[in-house]
Amino acid sequence: VITLWHYLAVAAALFGIGLVGFLTRRNMIIMFLCAEMMFQGVAINFVAFARYHGNLQGQVFVLFIIAVAACEAGVALALFLMMYRRGKSLDASDWQSLREMGVPPTVDTVPLPVEPVTEDEHLAPAGVRPKHVPTEEEAARV
Amino acid sequence: MNLFALSPMQESAGQIALAAVLAIVGFAFLLPQPKGRKVAVGIAALIASAAVFGAWLYSTYGRPMPDILGTVLFCLFSAGALGFGTVLVVQANPGRGAIAFAFVILSTCGLFLLLAAPFLMAATIIIYAGAIIVTFLFVLMLSYAGGPSAENNRSREPLLGALAGFAFTGLVLFSLYLSQGGANAAETPQTAQRLPAQVLTLEERNTLLAAVEKLDAVEEHLGAGTTPPAQRRNVVEYFEGIRDQIGTVVGSNTLSRDGSISVRLEQLPMLPGEKVTPLRNDKQARAVLRQAADIRKQNEKAFDAVVNNVFDGKPSREITKSELRNLRDDVVVLAGAGGLPARNVGNLGYLLYADHLLAVELAGTLLLVATIGAIAITQRKGAVA
Repeated sequence: VITLWHYLAVAAALFGIGLVGFLTRRNMIIMFLCAEMMFQGVAINFVAFARYHGNLQGQVFVLFIIAVAACEAGVALALFLMMYRRGKSLDASDWQSLREMGVPPTVDTVPLPVEPVTEDEHLAPAGVRPKHVPTEEEAARV
Repeated sequence: MNLFALSPMQESAGQIALAAVLAIVGFAFLLPQPKGRKVAVGIAALIASAAVFGAWLYSTYGRPMPDILGTVLFCLFSAGALGFGTVLVVQANPGRGAIAFAFVILSTCGLFLLLAAPFLMAATIIIYAGAIIVTFLFVLMLSYAGGPSAENNRSREPLLGALAGFAFTGLVLFSLYLSQGGANAAETPQTAQRLPAQVLTLEERNTLLAAVEKLDAVEEHLGAGTTPPAQRRNVVEYFEGIRDQIGTVVGSNTLSRDGSISVRLEQLPMLPGEKVTPLRNDKQARAVLRQAADIRKQNEKAFDAVVNNVFDGKPSREITKSELRNLRDDVVVLAGAGGLPARNVGNLGYLLYADHLLAVELAGTLLLVATIGAIAITQRKGAVA
């Protein structure tokens, strides 16, 4: 039988994965999605406790989580758009001038891999239409 | 002396720590890095971590598995949620990450459904997989640069980040283990930790609802004026039938505990004078037993009122009918006990507007402020409308 504790353990693991993503990734959208994943972990906890106690209070809490997440998504999206307009990048480290006083800046030492630039495929240039000699069968059909 | 003779607590802590360390290694190898990553090693470490985690869960909490279907679905959905969550974190391409997030949402919605929350499942799918993912895919497409970039192909301290995250998770799991009395699992019976099953069986519910239907037809049998002597017997027999029908579920009279609820949920005393001990000690079972006791009393009271009214006219018709109405309402409430999935939306709405009205208003205000904020933030200075 699946017990309350199974759900709590899975929710904790989901929260942990989201936390790792939030701490390590630098794309702001991925960071945001990881935060949403942490919300999902908490939501599973609430719903499991609602089932455990046989009432709906936990589900009401999750409804409020969803409402707050929707607000957060709207505002975060607007912020990301503005930051992209200023810095032409979604990298959170571009904004490290906002860091705490006395903390050294992070500098990327390893260069990014360079993708070899490939020429786009060209179609054959257009020209005179090749002369078409109808076969016997085609001629017979026409 | 056997050095490897570990207590269950140490064994459990060791398993959690092993799973956490393997997960840290896996993520450290898999997170995007400009100098390339070791995919095979990372995936192997993650699979090993998942296996250790699953083994720990199974050995600690879930030995008997009679509910095959529920167990399989739970494993499927939780593996889906954790697996796609990992993909979201380690995937360098943010578009694919967003799709993986959609699958995480679908998997958690499956878990919601298993936990009897169909409305939340629908709402979560619509809002997350429908609205949030789509808007974020728009932004991703707007900002797509092509080729490797600092935001997608670099990670901030992969090893330390994974260490922090999974150390936290391991501690949460370990405190979970300590809190549920996994350390003293021998004393606490496994049944006490299960998610409570339905407190009422389907037959009991049907019996109660049939009795309610008969109680709704009170007017035909107890109309205005007094009952003529020729019909008195029929009327009393009708109500006796209802009383017995309710009695089969809650118990036939105030003292006896022969109702099917008591038989299922209570340990009857072997000797006279011993206390009655409930078999299930969760909130639901206690509430249902209390309700059943109330209905036993009300059942007797209403039937006495009917008999006295029909033969003596002593309690007036109105009082008799109100007793019967009270009985009917109590029986309806008992018939709905534990029915979490049934009328989920209706009950959620009732709870929202009865108990959490202020919070609902605040959430609405929050949404409005967020809308205004989003518009204000994205507005360009000096742009002509």
